[in-house]
Amino acid sequence: MLELTGIRKTFNPGTVNEVRALQGVDLTIDEGSFVIVLGMNGSGKSTLLNAVAGSFFVDEGTIRLAGHDVTRWPEHRRARLIGRVFQNPFSGTAPSMSIAENFALATRRGRARGLGWALSGSLMKPLRERIASLRMGLEDRLDNAIGSLSGGQRQALTLLMATWLKPHLLLLDEHTAALDPKSADQVITLTNEVVQRDRLTTLMVTHSMQQAVSLGDRIIMMNRGQVLHDFRGAEKKRLRPEDLIDRFNEVRAREQLDEGAAEMLRANYI
Amino acid sequence: MTLLLGALTIGLILSLLAMGVFISFRIFEMPDITTDGSITLGAAVTAVLLVNGTNPFLATAAGAAGGAVAGAITGVLHTKFKINSLLAGILVMTALYSVNLHVMGRSNVPLMQARTLGSHAEDFGRRLLGTDTVHFLGWPVTASDAALLVFALLAAVVSGVALYLFFRTHVGTAMRATGDNAQMIRALGGNVEGYIVLGLALSNALVALSGSLLAQYQGFADAQMGIGMIVWGLASVIIGEALTGARSLGLTIVGAIMGSILFRLLVAIALRWGLDPNDLKLITAVFVFAALVLPGLIGKLKRKSAFSGPAPR
Ligand SMILES: Nc1ncnc2c1ncn2[C@@H]1O[C@H](COP(=O)(O)OP(=O)(O)OP(=O)(O)O)[C@@H](O)[C@H]1O
Ligand SMILES: [Mg+2]
Repeated sequence: MLELTGIRKTFNPGTVNEVRALQGVDLTIDEGSFVIVLGMNGSGKSTLLNAVAGSFFVDEGTIRLAGHDVTRWPEHRRARLIGRVFQNPFSGTAPSMSIAENFALATRRGRARGLGWALSGSLMKPLRERIASLRMGLEDRLDNAIGSLSGGQRQALTLLMATWLKPHLLLLDEHTAALDPKSADQVITLTNEVVQRDRLTTLMVTHSMQQAVSLGDRIIMMNRGQVLHDFRGAEKKRLRPEDLIDRFNEVRAREQLDEGAAEMLRANYI
Repeated sequence: MTLLLGALTIGLILSLLAMGVFISFRIFEMPDITTDGSITLGAAVTAVLLVNGTNPFLATAAGAAGGAVAGAITGVLHTKFKINSLLAGILVMTALYSVNLHVMGRSNVPLMQARTLGSHAEDFGRRLLGTDTVHFLGWPVTASDAALLVFALLAAVVSGVALYLFFRTHVGTAMRATGDNAQMIRALGGNVEGYIVLGLALSNALVALSGSLLAQYQGFADAQMGIGMIVWGLASVIIGEALTGARSLGLTIVGAIMGSILFRLLVAIALRWGLDPNDLKLITAVFVFAALVLPGLIGKLKRKSAFSGPAPR
């Protein structure tokens, strides 16, 4: 389904701001698999998702998705295969356009956009029904600008938009991190519903251990631009939040060790 | 009366300019100074073709097409070569100055002898009304002036409706979303660069069409006629927004037309009252500056007084 081989990405190479964000990622994800991505700040989770989505081209390695080598496809072309929800609720919707118009855009994801009427009659009925199923009362506000809605409502709508046409891959980058706990729960429940219903292949980044253990069928833990741990099957099912926190502490201890060693070297040799 | 009719007609013709500026300035949020060059380009191409006896409809369409090419070039400079949008516009505008002189072969092409859309409209009006003067609200109006006004109105309405319909299609909606949230439309498979090029082509086609009609109305094309027209278009769009007060697509387009007419009327009145025509551009610029800054300033003052609360007694 998704196959990453030897992915590397360095930002600002050759400058003082050089960041080796991805340092050789190999990862294969089966069709229908729901993968949770964990890792400390700056470990490369977002960079990984952006690389798959095509926000930039990778320096090395290949990306295969749904039978295509998409490594050199521009972002808008990959969008035919990929649905996305961003961390920032402002990123996924066009604020000054109406709810209906935003969905009209989503109904053509990755398809030719001709001179057909965007808000066609055949769109409105299924749209109203689908939005009513959110039970947020938004089905009566389809003409309202989406910018007037709360962050939670916008993320729920963005999720529906991203999956209106079934994507081969769904990318969720901390899509509940900017929400209050109640809205976050709502959006997580919706995410699980949508992913289960359509058996969507999904990559979801989160910092919540609770979400990590209760959702999905596989967890990968990133560190320094590489995949450090990969839990799946029965092992993933057995995991408890405490186990994950232990792993994080191990990573942290090792980093401190590294820093301590660097400090010692610096003290002794510089 | 003739003055009023003239101002109305020119206002309507320039409403196409305002609609073009609406696309670049409001949809893509980029003040596109290509406008100054493409309005002249439209006039120049049409004028030269007319002088050579081309069918006026063809000559007008060719003028608009010239504008579309100019806009597309600005779009490509901006998106493919990553040049700042303002600079891309400046480059194309500057280049167009030479291009326009080449097209015209000199700095001014008179159209007095040529058959233009204007003369067609005048003939048509005279034939339809069967007389040379009609009375409108008690005022005598020449049939040709009336015909020109109606023709300009038709041009503005048809363009406005076409633009509205276009922006409600799938491509048009995606184009509007590009200006609103490029990241989102990219994630939905929209080719942001393509939409910007297409949008700027459309914008400058309208602007050039406006220039083409203006040349045929006033009877000449001039290399200098584009100077400051972007600011004129901005003024029209801003007045239109104040008039309709709304952000909905249809109202904004109607507003741009109304704004253009009102602005032209105000200018005609001011000139009548003795405003030095040389000061016109200065006053337009100051006006746009005020219209851009005042709303924010007033909001700030309001907030300040709200913070300071009721004055202590
Ligand atoms: N566009 C960019 N330009 C320069 N550096 C970048 C860019 N994007 C990411 N980085 C850097 O790459 C590293 C990995 O960042 P990334 O955003 O992938 O981390 P993350 O795992 O998503 O972290 P977080 O949990 O904080 O979201 C960081 O050091 C970051 O500063
Ligand atoms: Mg991140």
